[in-house]
Amino acid sequence: MSPTYDVLIIGSGASGGMAAYTLAQKGVNCLMLDAGPEVDFTRDRSLKRVYDLPYRGFGRPGQFPHVTQASEFTANVWADEKQNPYTYDPNDPYYWVRIRLVGGKSLFWGRASWRLSDYEFKCKDHDDFGDNWPIGYSDLAPYYDRVEPLFRVSGRKEGLPQLPDGVFIEDNSVDSESVKRFVKSCAAVGIPTTKGRRATGQFASSVNLLLPDALASGNLTLVSNAVVRNITVDRNTGLVNGANFVDRRSKREMHAKARVVMVGASCLESTRLLLNSGIANSSGVLGHYLFDEFYVKNIVQAIVPELRNGSGRHGVIRGGGYIPRFRNLKTREKNFIRGYAVDFGSGGTPDPTYFPLYGEALQKEVNACKEAGFEMTAMGEVLPRFENHVRIDPNVQDAFGIPALHIQARYSDNEHAMARDAMDTLDERCRAAGFEVLVKHSQMVPPGESIHELGTCRMGDDPKTSVLNKWNQSHDVKNLFVVDGSSFVSGGSQNPTLTILALSMRSSEYVAAQLRSGNL
Amino acid sequence: MSGAEQQPATPKAARAPIDETPTLQIATTDSAAETVEHYFSESQFQVLERLSDIIAPPISGVPGALAAGVPAFLDFLTSQSSAHIQNLYRDGLDALNHQAQSRFKTDFKGTTASQADEILAPLRKPWTYEAPAEPLQAFLVLAKGQILQGTVNSREWISVVSKRDRRASGLGTYWHTID
Ligand SMILES: Cc1cc2nc3c(=O)[nH]c(=O)nc-3n(C[C@H](O)[C@H](O)[C@H](O)COP(=O)(O)OP(=O)(O)OC[C@H]3O[C@@H](n4cnc5c(N)ncnc54)[C@H](O)[C@@H]3O)c2cc1C
Repeated sequence: MSPTYDVLIIGSGASGGMAAYTLAQKGVNCLMLDAGPEVDFTRDRSLKRVYDLPYRGFGRPGQFPHVTQASEFTANVWADEKQNPYTYDPNDPYYWVRIRLVGGKSLFWGRASWRLSDYEFKCKDHDDFGDNWPIGYSDLAPYYDRVEPLFRVSGRKEGLPQLPDGVFIEDNSVDSESVKRFVKSCAAVGIPTTKGRRATGQFASSVNLLLPDALASGNLTLVSNAVVRNITVDRNTGLVNGANFVDRRSKREMHAKARVVMVGASCLESTRLLLNSGIANSSGVLGHYLFDEFYVKNIVQAIVPELRNGSGRHGVIRGGGYIPRFRNLKTREKNFIRGYAVDFGSGGTPDPTYFPLYGEALQKEVNACKEAGFEMTAMGEVLPRFENHVRIDPNVQDAFGIPALHIQARYSDNEHAMARDAMDTLDERCRAAGFEVLVKHSQMVPPGESIHELGTCRMGDDPKTSVLNKWNQSHDVKNLFVVDGSSFVSGGSQNPTLTILALSMRSSEYVAAQLRSGNL
Repeated sequence: MSGAEQQPATPKAARAPIDETPTLQIATTDSAAETVEHYFSESQFQVLERLSDIIAPPISGVPGALAAGVPAFLDFLTSQSSAHIQNLYRDGLDALNHQAQSRFKTDFKGTTASQADEILAPLRKPWTYEAPAEPLQAFLVLAKGQILQGTVNSREWISVVSKRDRRASGLGTYWHTID
């Protein structure tokens, strides 16, 4: 007979990985199921020349209509969209970016690591929109303090209330002249800037930073290629008791048993699992309040004029930084609530398609602007709204016969107004820094493309308006926990993974304590 | 000279002993043979050749789109693309011929440089994030991007430019099927 584990963890990415890391080292006997195969880093990748690829680097047309991040080099990494379909209204496209491998998206994330602040946790107190989280910054700060060293996050302390400092590998690098000029032009109008904050090292994933210690404890059984179909419920107690899964390769149907189930299959997959299991939805809000961060990629592309034609390069280019949210912090300043952040970088070569030229004239201009670019991307807060939601599409199933999601998401006037403000403000700051603005725009990428989907199993104190309590625990089913970004109540403009990791660690310590005291 | 001739023969000394697992040196299709164009009509293909040469001509010893085999590559790529892209290309190429005929009484291939410049005026309009609404402009913007990328991703372009700039090696980490 198969064993009953203390905890079944579904998903091995950032959130599930942190749950395993925390629980297994506390002596909790865990089973982890992940839908994907494991990566063998020596066998699965090699160096190739772009012209040796079948499509000369363009990729097979139509293979990834929703994954703009995919290239022909990485095509085998992303979840196959035909095997894993989802639907949306054609007027409201949603770009759902998934990785089904042991380690999940943490294998390939960009590692930008920011803390949320009470501007997010207590957002309603600031502008009366939406809901506060059931926790405040002080509840999560001790966990951020432990996650940052584990992920070797580098950064510079600034003392900004909207972007709390962390336990960083200090980044004291000297800014290049172009970055200094941009920073000064921002400071002149009270816009703060800082260094990027990023997990460092060759690699910063659940598979190298979390799962090895969990496995070494002897308390983690990790099973790959296990696609969870639904979470099972003991009819007598109403508690969950394990999960049904299908072996991806043989299609064999299996069941695993556990006393507690922790779901970390990523925001929308976890929500899909709960919806397909018919649990944890007495509130009726499961699947609702979907949001992410909106991105306006290359919102302003500028040129540092003295770098034209390769002159004055030494010390002038390279590096970059980050503008944290600065709008609506103290008073309501603009025609929108909340705010946006900006990533900026110096030293790129502008895309040739930006120049209204061709032939020799184009080549001359591209050569002149080689590595003279100053570019930036704006990332803005998306308001959580009930109407933005996911539900099960009764007509579509994945390759394993598991009902697929229908996703309904649309940005509102608030986000559009923010994007325009970001474009105008950054255009102005670039000109004030003495840069030439080559192009600018305020077109957001479709919802989902930022890969920061959040909110569909949100936390709250009130079981009537939320799915989870402040410990990421289902209000309805006390031995069920959801530890990924679906638990967010609001997201700010910061990339979410550091917060996902901190929440998962906090929830897992709670589970370990509850198991010890016999409450679960 | 074909790419196959450029491949150095494996020196005898490098041959593995007969009872070891061999790693065979395999050439890519592109390096050993030419694409058989089949998607565009002959006249469309001629327009694509001229357009490719105008957008990415050879400059200072760096191969342009024609030497990089871009028209044949785009013929293949378009044949596998969506109906929307296929229509943009076919209609766009026909429109260039049509404009050349009506304005200069020749096909696009026969236009002088300044006549071609007149026809390609939409390419000199400022960049917009959204694809242009006007079909010819939308085609030209798309084709410009693809011709440039097809050129700089080609063996011919990379083998010349990488000698001057080590970053232009065309190398990347390729992920094999993971299972
Ligand atoms: C290219 C890229 C860049 C990014 N950059 C950043 C960044 O700079 N900063 C940042 O904060 N975030 C970034 N992100 C987002 C970040 O990767 C995610 O927020 C994070 O990985 C989410 O963790 P997760 O555990 O919720 O999901 P994942 O890491 O995706 O893990 C989910 C796991 O669940 C498994 N799974 C799914 N369904 C099932 C099922 N039915 N049964 C069993 N297993 C299942 C999947 O196989 C996967 O392994 C980036 C993502 C990508 C792809």
